[in-house]
Amino acid sequence: MLAAPWVCRSCARSLGRVGISQFSQFIRRASTGTATELPAALLERARKLTAEHEQLSAALETDFDVKRAKRAGELSRIATALKQLEKAKASLSELQGLLTSDDAELRELAQDDLEATNVELADSSHNLSVALTPKHPFADMPCLLEIRPGPGGTEGRFFADSLFHMYQAYCANKGYRTRVVKYDTMDNDGQTGSEGEVPLQEAVLEVEDPGAYAKFRGEAGMHRVQRVPVTEKSGRTHTSAVAVWVLPSFPESGNTDAESEWDNPESDFYINPAEIRCETMRARGAGGQHVNKTESAIRLTHIPTGTTVSMQDSRSQQRNRDYAWRLMRSRLAQQRREAREEKARQLRSSVLANSQITRGDKIRTYNYQQDRCTDHRSALDVHNLPDVLRGGDTLGRVMESVQTWLVNKDIELLIADEEAADASVAKKKGKGGN
Amino acid sequence: MPRLPPSLFWRARREISPMATYLLKACRDLESTANELRWIREHVRATPSPVFPGLRTWNLCERRGKGVPLQYVLGTQPFGNLDIKCRPGVLIPRPETEAYTLHLASLLSQEQQSSPAPLSILDLCTGTGCIPLLLLSSLLTPPAAPPKITIHALDISPLAISLATHNHAHNTALNLLPPPTPQTPHTLTFTRANIFHPLPAPPHHQQPGGTIDLLTANPPYISPAAFATDTSRAVRNHEPRLALVPDTSTSTLTDYAAAYNCLPQDIFYARLLECAAELRPRRVFLEVGDMAQAVRVVGMVLRDGGAGLGGYYATVEIWRDEPEVERVEMRRIAGREVGVRGEGKGRGVYLFQGDV
Repeated sequence: MLAAPWVCRSCARSLGRVGISQFSQFIRRASTGTATELPAALLERARKLTAEHEQLSAALETDFDVKRAKRAGELSRIATALKQLEKAKASLSELQGLLTSDDAELRELAQDDLEATNVELADSSHNLSVALTPKHPFADMPCLLEIRPGPGGTEGRFFADSLFHMYQAYCANKGYRTRVVKYDTMDNDGQTGSEGEVPLQEAVLEVEDPGAYAKFRGEAGMHRVQRVPVTEKSGRTHTSAVAVWVLPSFPESGNTDAESEWDNPESDFYINPAEIRCETMRARGAGGQHVNKTESAIRLTHIPTGTTVSMQDSRSQQRNRDYAWRLMRSRLAQQRREAREEKARQLRSSVLANSQITRGDKIRTYNYQQDRCTDHRSALDVHNLPDVLRGGDTLGRVMESVQTWLVNKDIELLIADEEAADASVAKKKGKGGN
Repeated sequence: MPRLPPSLFWRARREISPMATYLLKACRDLESTANELRWIREHVRATPSPVFPGLRTWNLCERRGKGVPLQYVLGTQPFGNLDIKCRPGVLIPRPETEAYTLHLASLLSQEQQSSPAPLSILDLCTGTGCIPLLLLSSLLTPPAAPPKITIHALDISPLAISLATHNHAHNTALNLLPPPTPQTPHTLTFTRANIFHPLPAPPHHQQPGGTIDLLTANPPYISPAAFATDTSRAVRNHEPRLALVPDTSTSTLTDYAAAYNCLPQDIFYARLLECAAELRPRRVFLEVGDMAQAVRVVGMVLRDGGAGLGGYYATVEIWRDEPEVERVEMRRIAGREVGVRGEGKGRGVYLFQGDV
């Protein structure tokens, strides 16, 4: 037996070429598998929700109500998934019955079908768990991508610019509408990176399509780059990091729903104007006709949290102010959401809490020497780095793998939540009994 | 002006760009230098020209470095959502003007929401036409578009009138101002006129019962002494003196100063209040230079007690730089409680027929 728990794929392949093929079991794949057997708690919940869905659809037949129709629409996906699952289970038990039959031919046929049915069962149970995962509250929103170089020299700044152009190109390829909200660079005496990048200080790219938040949610975190910078003379590889934050944003075009939400103190996007300190560059002296200042910088500070936003991109102070307010709303909404998630996390088991990725962790590595881009969460390795940085399909593949990973993570959390809820109910009951 | 240390120029060169050393002379700090360089580059990128971009950038930086205001160098200044063209010989729109114009527009919109009625506005000393253009653009935004808007703007300078007319066409072409339609009929006319002569009567003044809803003016309000000491160099050397300092070399203006017994920088207010007394607009807003001048102008309004303008206008307020900030302190001027609204320095005098 082999001492190593696994064999790297290229070794396994070359061993296979010389006729040794028993290593296939050790190959480590970018697996995203979840348990095929759904926990009882989840099934129970699905049954409850399906019952609710049936009630609602029955009620809707007699009189129509927008709110109820919406809820029924949300639940219908769970109901269909559960139906599918139950169908698969029924056929499986039928097949198992046939397996014990005396007819040899029948047994053979059942054996053939068994595999397909097993796959179907796994699929449908996965579908059900996806359907049960609550949709992220910001999922339907456009998003803001904030890109900031990590501590360190210009190398990180150059790479931040590469990332900015990567996302811009990706959006252009996918046909998403984008707008550069902020693009602050350091003008380093005309010095540019290996591909003409400029040292970036901070950039904010808005993806204006609804639902962009869900698509880009997985991009938040530290992106690490390993390469030989242009300034490096002895050819050593440097590692630097760039932080990408993904914030929800409101669609600009007069969405009355969104605006009413701004004024709603319950909303994540609500800001009490009294809590904001607004600083502008004031002209010294008399102002008015006496001076002719071009400074249009605006700085907003949210006093309770200490969050600051400064904006000086536009020559118009009015526009800077509008963007600063939007960015402030997005940042605060994200903070509030994260605080809530943190609270929920503390209620769960500590084992799961440790596997959570926060935005401080590195999530992806771009290695220029090996022409490789690795996502550390989905454990996906892709090559053809230039295509990734051009925002091509390779980047799309990485982002999709992260999407899958996120969905599976959400399912795990859901299961943990359900189990924790069950346990606490049981505990209470136990106490009540005493 | 204190001398800039050479080290600052080295830092500008090293940290920003060699071009920044030109700009630093005019901007005087690294942050605004970096910003202005970026805006110049954006302008060069956005406007096509047969000249090599690097050369154009260098040319513009050099002109700016000689102290020419950035707005003249680039030829534009954003004002509200509008893009106002600027040319030497016409005063550059200021951010303070933008702030009170937007606030006036929001007051008018609120009124329109409760009782829609045709609006008539008169703007004196209009310059680039920024105030009437921004009022028009803000009032035409959907929730409270009045049934009809008539704006009349006057200026003594032919340069200003041609630029203001050009600005109207330019912003309409950029789709920032909607063209008049049967649903939103609006007219905006710019006329050359000396406001110290009897005002040319536009049609809406002559109509029986035709009142003006708003009279605005940003007149020259700097005294000759303050012009020499308080104004920044870019203003003093490059902006038109005509728009900044009342011209006391002509007898018309000195006569006013003598008749009203006012300081040379307040001459225009004497005439503007005379116009207000004659036309009786429902609201008046006059931009002023500082709080002291605001107090003097309020004193002129309240001079005759209940008999003059003081009796006609129930609300007399002084607005600061940011009038939209909800903060009002009371101040006693000429025997009447006058509200001082907003934050910043004293910026204007607001008169309103009704109560706030």
